[in-house]
Amino acid sequence: MAIYLYLSLLPEALIASMLSPEEFGAYYAVGSVKKSRGQAMFFEVDPDFRHPYFRVEDAYARCVPHEDGSLKASVYISVYRVLEHMDFDALRHLYLTTMDGRTLELSPSNEIPNGNEQLHLYQEIVPVSPLVVSRLGPIAFVDTIVRNPVPLISVPALVFTELQLGDLADDPEMGLMENLPYSNQDHLRQCLTDVKTKYAATKMVDRVSTPNVQYRTIKNGFFVGNKKQLRYFPMPSPEEIRTTNYRWFRSANM
Amino acid sequence: MNYINWIYVAIASGIISIGVALSLYFWVIKQDPGTERAQEVASWIKEGSNAYLVKLYRSLGILAALIGLVIAVVFSIQPETASGGAVTMHFGEGLTMALAFIAGAFSSAVAGYLGMRVAVEANVRTATAANFSLAKAFKVSFNGGAVLGLAMVGMAIIGMSAILLWTGTPEAVLGFSFGASILALLAKAGGGIYTKTADIAADLVGKIEVGIPEDDPRNPAVVADNVGDNVGDVAGMGADIFDSYVASAVAVMVLGASIGLTQAEQLKFTVIPLILCVLGIFASLLGIALVRVKEGQKPGPALNRGTIITTIIFAIFLFIFVYFTNVNPGVFWAALTGLIAGVIIGFTSDYFTNDNFKPVKETARVSTSGAAINIITGFSYGLMSIVPSVVGIAATTLISYYAAEAFGLSGVYGIGISAVGMLSISGMIVSADAYGPIVDNARGIAEMSGMDHEVIVRADELDSAGNTAKAITKGFSIGAAALTVIALFAAYSEVVQDAGVLISISLKEPLVVAGVFLGAVTPPLFSALLMLAVTHNAFDMIEETRRQFREQPGILAGTHKPDYGRLVSLASEGALSSLILPAFLAVGLPLLVGFVLGPNALGGFLGGAIFTGVIFALLMSNAGGLWDNAKKYIETGKFGGPGSDAHKAAVVGDTVGDPFKDTAGPSINTLITVMSLVASLFAPLIAVFHLFGF
Repeated sequence: MAIYLYLSLLPEALIASMLSPEEFGAYYAVGSVKKSRGQAMFFEVDPDFRHPYFRVEDAYARCVPHEDGSLKASVYISVYRVLEHMDFDALRHLYLTTMDGRTLELSPSNEIPNGNEQLHLYQEIVPVSPLVVSRLGPIAFVDTIVRNPVPLISVPALVFTELQLGDLADDPEMGLMENLPYSNQDHLRQCLTDVKTKYAATKMVDRVSTPNVQYRTIKNGFFVGNKKQLRYFPMPSPEEIRTTNYRWFRSANM
Repeated sequence: MNYINWIYVAIASGIISIGVALSLYFWVIKQDPGTERAQEVASWIKEGSNAYLVKLYRSLGILAALIGLVIAVVFSIQPETASGGAVTMHFGEGLTMALAFIAGAFSSAVAGYLGMRVAVEANVRTATAANFSLAKAFKVSFNGGAVLGLAMVGMAIIGMSAILLWTGTPEAVLGFSFGASILALLAKAGGGIYTKTADIAADLVGKIEVGIPEDDPRNPAVVADNVGDNVGDVAGMGADIFDSYVASAVAVMVLGASIGLTQAEQLKFTVIPLILCVLGIFASLLGIALVRVKEGQKPGPALNRGTIITTIIFAIFLFIFVYFTNVNPGVFWAALTGLIAGVIIGFTSDYFTNDNFKPVKETARVSTSGAAINIITGFSYGLMSIVPSVVGIAATTLISYYAAEAFGLSGVYGIGISAVGMLSISGMIVSADAYGPIVDNARGIAEMSGMDHEVIVRADELDSAGNTAKAITKGFSIGAAALTVIALFAAYSEVVQDAGVLISISLKEPLVVAGVFLGAVTPPLFSALLMLAVTHNAFDMIEETRRQFREQPGILAGTHKPDYGRLVSLASEGALSSLILPAFLAVGLPLLVGFVLGPNALGGFLGGAIFTGVIFALLMSNAGGLWDNAKKYIETGKFGGPGSDAHKAAVVGDTVGDPFKDTAGPSINTLITVMSLVASLFAPLIAVFHLFGF
């Protein structure tokens, strides 16, 4: 019987499971008898991936059906510093699950958007989850935070997504922002103005922003970077999602 | 033509209307009911709707029998003079009035039942037709709505004409109207409580707490929510307009019987409202036949066009009738005034509830500052929305009064004719209104049965047109109810004076002032009772919905079917058990005021109730619609879109507005009609038997 390996982002964990990605997403989002609920994001990891930090074989040994024949939903392998010990080549697909358990599959792409000419709003997801604005494009942003950190703060690996800024991406002082879904909008405008006009390239908007993401606000996709590489999982357009995965489209309030 | 013959024409036109309704019903039934899954989902809604109607009609049957018995006894008592004297018993008259009452309740029930019956068949067929084209889906849903519209006017005109023919007196038709009104009150209020209870439970638990979308089959309250659309908007609204339609005609009949100098003239003025109804039926038949949507066209303008075309056709028929039959031209001008005012009032209501205009946009914008500001803004626009309609009602009252007087006709009769003119095209208005819940259900069925997204997009487009039609109908029915009760008020005075009592409603008299105050508080109290019933029942349904999600995790995972029936049953029982006190208010309070404080105080009571009733009905219907559309406007991506702080605030406003617009607001029309009818019906007895007043 197939055993899957998942890197969960909410919360950060490596999990072995007998459930397929869609089943795992539903289970993880809407819970079982434990009645846990909430948005889920996870990577499907190559089941042959091994690292001395993770006791994958032990987990696989415990990943057997229950006595009633139902599949084992989850065996937690690690819940601490998981991302930094991952080999990003082992990441297959990224799955986004809505609060009510609908799952969308994102495949990786080699074409990473640069977009240095505009301002950016990044929602960091793992290992920390602040909301930050930056005048750096995604590649330069990972470079600054992970690979060649200029500021004092850095992380060994990072998962983040870029959120839509609308007019503010070009004109933080005067751009229309009434249709943006973010709270504390004056502060956001000020932060964007600061990164545009002052020395600092990035600025934190919200220290403890919830890592839950409104999927419809995602500008382009998800980025996973460490010292060695940066991988990109683009988000299809709303029209494409509507056609190919209407249930998810509805559920995610696209 | 002899005016007696016009009564036969009226019966014939009713039969034609019902015949067309039946042919449309069979046409709808012949359409493809779709896949097994779609039919299964539709069957849940059908079973829930039928179960509620059976319970409602069973309760109403018992109530109607009891009231009929009381009427039979009370109307058998015939005092000789207004100052008392010997009392004789005339059981025949009592029995006639009781039978008229039961016929009214029965006719209204049959019309409502037929409407519901076709609505639960048309919904799945509309969804299936939407797989092919918008035009086809529109045709199925609109024809489904037309079944209710045409059956309703058909049943009403046959009932009124038959009783007039049988008894020869319009007072007996008052009994018919009273029966229709009692049923309308309970059907509208009960349906309103049901629909909003289910809606709130489905939204608060399903959408807000659990995060599942609208019309998701995993939501245990979703079937009750769809059933609510039928019982509230099809059976309830149908009964409501049936009631206003009959009441306006009856009021004019009673007034007509008193203004004619000769018997022939009395007959003529009594039958004229029936003739206007006949013209309205034929105008509606033509209007309905002309409502079409071609592929690529929007359904909303087609519905509005249908209403306007029907209005014009009716005006032409009216002119021809008045011109060629030498009827007093005052009838033409009064009816035309009412007709135009009805359309204007309907469309001004649309201004305050349509997201193309400032009130909705502004309410959506301020939602970014939170729920409190959303509510204050929506409420304020709701208050403002009263003004154009009330000005319209006032202008119609004055114009129709003086137009009638200018041609030597009774001014009050003119006001009554304007109400009949406004309601004469009810066949078309109700058809457009009943289309709304059919397409709403169709959307739900498409969603729940997993139809393609193109089907959902088409169903969304149909649904949005239904919401506009609904807003227009509400404004229309409130305006018509206001004019109807003014005519009923005059009819009440006539009946009291016929009993030998000179009625004087002066604010210098303390009993009248007391009556005005008591009447003025009745609509607010009635509204409060209905809305408290919604919150009380919604609380039970929310707990049950939560329990199902909690105890059966498989529901959310999609592996376990929710217990829809439990929620449907809770909604039904809650709605019906909540009706006792509001029903007592409507029937008992006017009688209490009349028999204790006297006919003058009862006149004041009706005046107070009419004024606050119209204001409350307009405020609640329009504010509720405005909050709903402000939320929908944000859901299109404005001000942060779904899930934003503005959206959360707008959801709060919409939830507050739900019982405003669909429970209390529309039920107030019926409340004031029922109270006016009770007063008119019991006026001869009240004129004789009262504790104070003379």
